[in-house]
Amino acid sequence: MSQPSLTLPPTDRQAVRRRRLLELLGAAAIAATFVFLVLTQPADIAGGLGSVSSLVALGGFLLGALLLIVGVLPTLPTSTVVLIPVALVLNIVLGQLMGTSGLPFYLDSIGTVLIAVLAGPAAGAATGALSSIVWSFFNPTVLPFAAGAALIGFLAGVAARYGLFRRFYLAPVAGFVTGIIAGVVSAPIAAFVFGGTSGAGTGAIVSAFRAMGDTLLAAITKQALISDPMDKAIVFAIAAMLVYALPRRTTFQFPFVRRFRVLAGREPAARNS
Amino acid sequence: MFPRLNPLTTLAAAVAVLVMTTAAASWAVSLTVAVGAVLLSAASGTLRRVLLASAAIIVPFWLSLLVIHGLFFPEGRTVLASWGPARVTAEGLSFALEMGLRTAAFVLVLMVFSFSVRVPELVAALTARRVPPQVGYVLASTLLLAPLVAARLEKVRQAQESRGLVVGRGIGSRAAAIRLQMVPLVLGLVHDAGIRAQALDARGFRSAGPRTSYTEARDSAAQAAFRLVAILLALAAVGWRMVESLSAGSLAALSLSAGGPG
Repeated sequence: MSQPSLTLPPTDRQAVRRRRLLELLGAAAIAATFVFLVLTQPADIAGGLGSVSSLVALGGFLLGALLLIVGVLPTLPTSTVVLIPVALVLNIVLGQLMGTSGLPFYLDSIGTVLIAVLAGPAAGAATGALSSIVWSFFNPTVLPFAAGAALIGFLAGVAARYGLFRRFYLAPVAGFVTGIIAGVVSAPIAAFVFGGTSGAGTGAIVSAFRAMGDTLLAAITKQALISDPMDKAIVFAIAAMLVYALPRRTTFQFPFVRRFRVLAGREPAARNS
Repeated sequence: MFPRLNPLTTLAAAVAVLVMTTAAASWAVSLTVAVGAVLLSAASGTLRRVLLASAAIIVPFWLSLLVIHGLFFPEGRTVLASWGPARVTAEGLSFALEMGLRTAAFVLVLMVFSFSVRVPELVAALTARRVPPQVGYVLASTLLLAPLVAARLEKVRQAQESRGLVVGRGIGSRAAAIRLQMVPLVLGLVHDAGIRAQALDARGFRSAGPRTSYTEARDSAAQAAFRLVAILLALAAVGWRMVESLSAGSLAALSLSAGGPG
């Protein structure tokens, strides 16, 4: 690393191993943070504002997301890196388009899922985390949810890897399961960093569970289990629709799509073979 | 007004202030930080934009907090008023106030940062720190691309409307309208991205050698020292809060078993 070659990129295994280590550390940070929050929550929220919990939630989840980004991004081919900004803007613009349509969902991860289907779980996770970080330039409250967004991208990539996007009816099912997991992981953020809300719409459901005497974390987790799976099922279905609307020439230029036969249908014949 | 600071210096300052605010967990500190952020944005001439953008986020947030904790707070014991299942408790209101002020401080400080930072300088500073160049590319490219994509969506909408797209009342019609706008938009963007990838690759985007930059982020020993102090202060605040909560942990557990529902 001290003397980089001026002519050829160094293809040393050490750098590859270091990046793999960063990815693993990032995933471990996110997992450890979640376990810590779930184990310590009851005493903490009664003891005051849950200040230690909010520090751990912010620090652990953000650190994990940053490690994932720095570890994954340099390994991606340029065709994928160039697609990431497009996906981030799609997250924001399509989210707003949905907002104007009057449908009751937030649908702010369509671009992330699209990348995950085309380029795999690692690219999806990095895109999700980056999406939260870039979006926080306009709306800082999405920043702490970076780990949840990364998880959505990762799970979408795994679903694509095992062929769940080959059948159109399986994509929403994968989205439903992803929504359950992502909702449970994101709930501690809403509870400890923001005191229980991530927007005006979800507040009513949280209040209903609080009225029944649930703890704050339990109420928010139940609310997430109501809204997130439905939302992600729709997002996955839309992403599948978009992927199949793209010309085959475009989708099959991604190595991930070719290698794991992510999409139904035959690979187009190479033109200059 | 200000000499241009290195973006990493302002970022370190913002992060340190936020960490200390969270660790302090007191409404007075949060209020001070929020007011300080507003004053800072007034001094740097971004007051109007920062306030508008922050209010759009904070006001719905406060309303939602008020509904959740103002009306339903099972842990609260000082009941001020009650209608059926809803009970307004002093504890719930103070919890909502503390959380609301802390979130306001969080949003305002980050908004002041994002309105004061110049993205090219931030990217240059990150590259100088050996952050992978892809990170800087994605950051800068997204912020530049956002208005272009919005304009393109508008064009697609106009084109489809001139071909007879009418958005009806029903959900089916709305979904069809969204599909008619979304598919051409995504197709065009993905196609453009492919061309951009070839252009970048031809210019050695993936090569690992040393890089030069058009914009140099100015830096000084004083700023480097300030960043170090800011990070150390933030760490100290976290450490102090951990020790505090460990020593108070037994107390909290006692009060919980005495009166809490959990």
